[in-house]
Amino acid sequence: MLSTLIVALIKIVLALAGLMTAAAYLVLVERRFAAWVQDRRGPNRVGVPLTRIRLFGLGQPIADGVKFIFKAEFTPGHVDKLMFFVAPLTIFIAAAAVFAVIPFGSVLPQDFLPAGWGVSEPIRLVAAPGIDVGMIYVFAVGSIAVYGVVLGGWASNNKYSFLGGLRSGAQLISYELPLGLGILGVVLWTGSLRLDAIIARQAVGGAWNCVLQPLGFLIFAVAACAEATRLPFDLPETEQELVGGYHTEYSGIKLMMYLVAEFLHMITASFLIVILFLGGWHFWGITGSGEAVTWPVALLRVAVLLAKVLGVILFFMLARWSWPRFRFDQLMALGWKVLIPLGLVNVVVVAAWAEFGPALAARWGISDPLGLGLAGGAALLLCWLVVAASDPTRVDNSPRRRVVTPDQDVEEIFN
Amino acid sequence: MHPQDDRIRWIKSPKLGVAGRSYLPLFVQGLTTTLRHLLGRKLTVESPEERHEIPDPLIYRGVHRLNRDAQGRIKCVACFLCATACPAHCIDIVAAESPWPDREKYPQSFTIDELRCIFCGMCEEACPVDAIELTSLYDLSGKSREEMIFDKEKLLSVYDQTKDAEPMRSARA
Amino acid sequence: MKDSHTIWILATLLGSLGLWLMLPRGGRRGRLAGAALAVVALGLAASQTPRLGTWTAEGIFAALALVTVVAAAAAVTCRNPVYCAIWFGLTLLGTAGLFLLVGAQFLAAATVVVYAGAILVTFLFVLMLAQPEGKAAYDRASWEAMLSAVTGVVLIGVLSITVGGALTAPPPEAAPSAAAVQAGVLRPQHVAALGTELFGRHLIAIQIAGTLLLTALVGAAVIIAQGKNTKTDSINSKELKTDEE
Repeated sequence: MLSTLIVALIKIVLALAGLMTAAAYLVLVERRFAAWVQDRRGPNRVGVPLTRIRLFGLGQPIADGVKFIFKAEFTPGHVDKLMFFVAPLTIFIAAAAVFAVIPFGSVLPQDFLPAGWGVSEPIRLVAAPGIDVGMIYVFAVGSIAVYGVVLGGWASNNKYSFLGGLRSGAQLISYELPLGLGILGVVLWTGSLRLDAIIARQAVGGAWNCVLQPLGFLIFAVAACAEATRLPFDLPETEQELVGGYHTEYSGIKLMMYLVAEFLHMITASFLIVILFLGGWHFWGITGSGEAVTWPVALLRVAVLLAKVLGVILFFMLARWSWPRFRFDQLMALGWKVLIPLGLVNVVVVAAWAEFGPALAARWGISDPLGLGLAGGAALLLCWLVVAASDPTRVDNSPRRRVVTPDQDVEEIFN
Repeated sequence: MHPQDDRIRWIKSPKLGVAGRSYLPLFVQGLTTTLRHLLGRKLTVESPEERHEIPDPLIYRGVHRLNRDAQGRIKCVACFLCATACPAHCIDIVAAESPWPDREKYPQSFTIDELRCIFCGMCEEACPVDAIELTSLYDLSGKSREEMIFDKEKLLSVYDQTKDAEPMRSARA
Repeated sequence: MKDSHTIWILATLLGSLGLWLMLPRGGRRGRLAGAALAVVALGLAASQTPRLGTWTAEGIFAALALVTVVAAAAAVTCRNPVYCAIWFGLTLLGTAGLFLLVGAQFLAAATVVVYAGAILVTFLFVLMLAQPEGKAAYDRASWEAMLSAVTGVVLIGVLSITVGGALTAPPPEAAPSAAAVQAGVLRPQHVAALGTELFGRHLIAIQIAGTLLLTALVGAAVIIAQGKNTKTDSINSKELKTDEE
């Protein structure tokens, strides 16, 4: 009992410390990346303090953190004091709490622990290994994060913050549906809500879900990007329209909580994409697929998972500079008119294959996953063509030129 | 203008084909553009260690200098044309009777407030004797406002410093 | 009548009175007194709840229950509608925690996803859009304060007496055995078992609930379609002169 507690505590501390460091260094990565895309060099001068050693700017996150903590933290007089304080805490805690169920690897052999501790099973690399509803837990905690943004915008008592809060409320609720539909296909195929079970299914089968359910993968990736409010979906804080959106009035350490939470959301989204669709810690030929592992394999699995996650994060950062931001009505149209119907199609395809697939595959003489992959690919192609042909997101933005003269009756205008 | 004025040309947004509406070309275009820049040559100069390369220092508008003639005397004749032409009113000249026989006046003091200067080069254009010129020194800095008000000696020293790299305009002709 | 019943009835009466005093009825009279009465009622009720055994279970349960009850009371007595919504959200989180405490993982997560994540955010959205300050009279005062206070507390009181009585003196066949609990909420394949239960034994109920929700959805769509002025489109396109003409 006690040893379980200690192991859990160690895992929590390691995960949190790793996440905070990762978030801090991802800020540096993002800045360097942005600079490179814009033909600049980015922050490359801060290295070891008090020396001339630069280390490619690796000291920059420390400097940034110290700066945020020691900056004046100003609370404007017109805000709702309590909510202004609670909102960043909420989003930060919610963003960090998601990682309770997200695996950082497969398992570690328990042989390095003293035998007297009574740890008889390999240690699962997830903070809360016993949760059977992992995926729903991610959703639940993720939906709490909305409060941080909405309340922050409301408590700031500023129209730009408020608009940012409203936008994020609408955006996050809307994109939770396609996100859920994307996951549903994976859960159907796996038969479990546990994230480690989802990875294990892909590892044993050898086929990643992104190949089996390309439509679901696409929908999930887009929706996850929108849920993390990364560009091109960063409408809650569009600086050209809303100054800073919901965190316009924030400064100092509260602002830092918002920014770190944003990065944590991006890390979460990347972890989920990798775990659900890109095979988690599995890579053909080098990681194996079974449960019992040796030390090198265990560490290799962690490395493969983290490398994949980093790859997805880098893609997010590249996406930021590659495509222009959506307008808000386009965002809503994409979510409701494209992603949700396509998500339903994906669920129907996967469910139908789960029911009739094995028999069909046996008759045609192909393997079960190959059949699902073919069906999924066909569904993707067909859906994409239908969307491109019907163009459901198109809106008529031509100017309204009805001229109203003062003597015209209002009734007359509208009849 | 009246919204129904015939002179207004209303333009409809372009019609996209199936390829355009499928978002794929835009997707590929954006990605290739960013990737090209990501891997391309960086334009930023590592500033204090590296210096900007100034393509033609002779037409660059940096810090001012006051030129000397062949005998090492200040060339300025205190005609006030530069001070008159200056849109920022940053040139302040106190004229006195010239100690030399070849001109009537010379500047007893000649100060330029570099903080007010907008580096437009009007003074250089106005000068009838090519006494004031803009050099290619661009990174001037100081610890106080007073330090940034350049007097005659300082401006002459800028000339001494830059005369080899950037010869006087009259010498160039 | 047993002693415990007397205490439960006393707690119910005190709770009603306290809640009535705390409800926003215009003016600030008696809110503190109401809060004090409610605390006393809560204490009385707590003294009658069955013990759970270990102090960790006891402590966690007490903390979660306290958060839930206090947040629920605050949700109905708060004057600012946005704060009411937030308190309600805290109530939901407390409830989810209580579910988790008895091992109902799915129910806990689903409560948060559905209520806190979707419905309450929509509430907040509407509240903020409608009246950010909550200035309207109907936002600042509760309707039928007396009736609602009495009904609410009496309902809770009756439920508590029944359930509490069952727990303090359990008939041997009523209490779920440890083995049954182990086979139910605590088993590893908890979600799968729940799914089998829901879509096996309770299939009809699920279908009826689904139909009901679908009806509501269609109704909402119809209302939107009616409210939309179909003529705006014609205004837009009829008089538009473009390059092509």
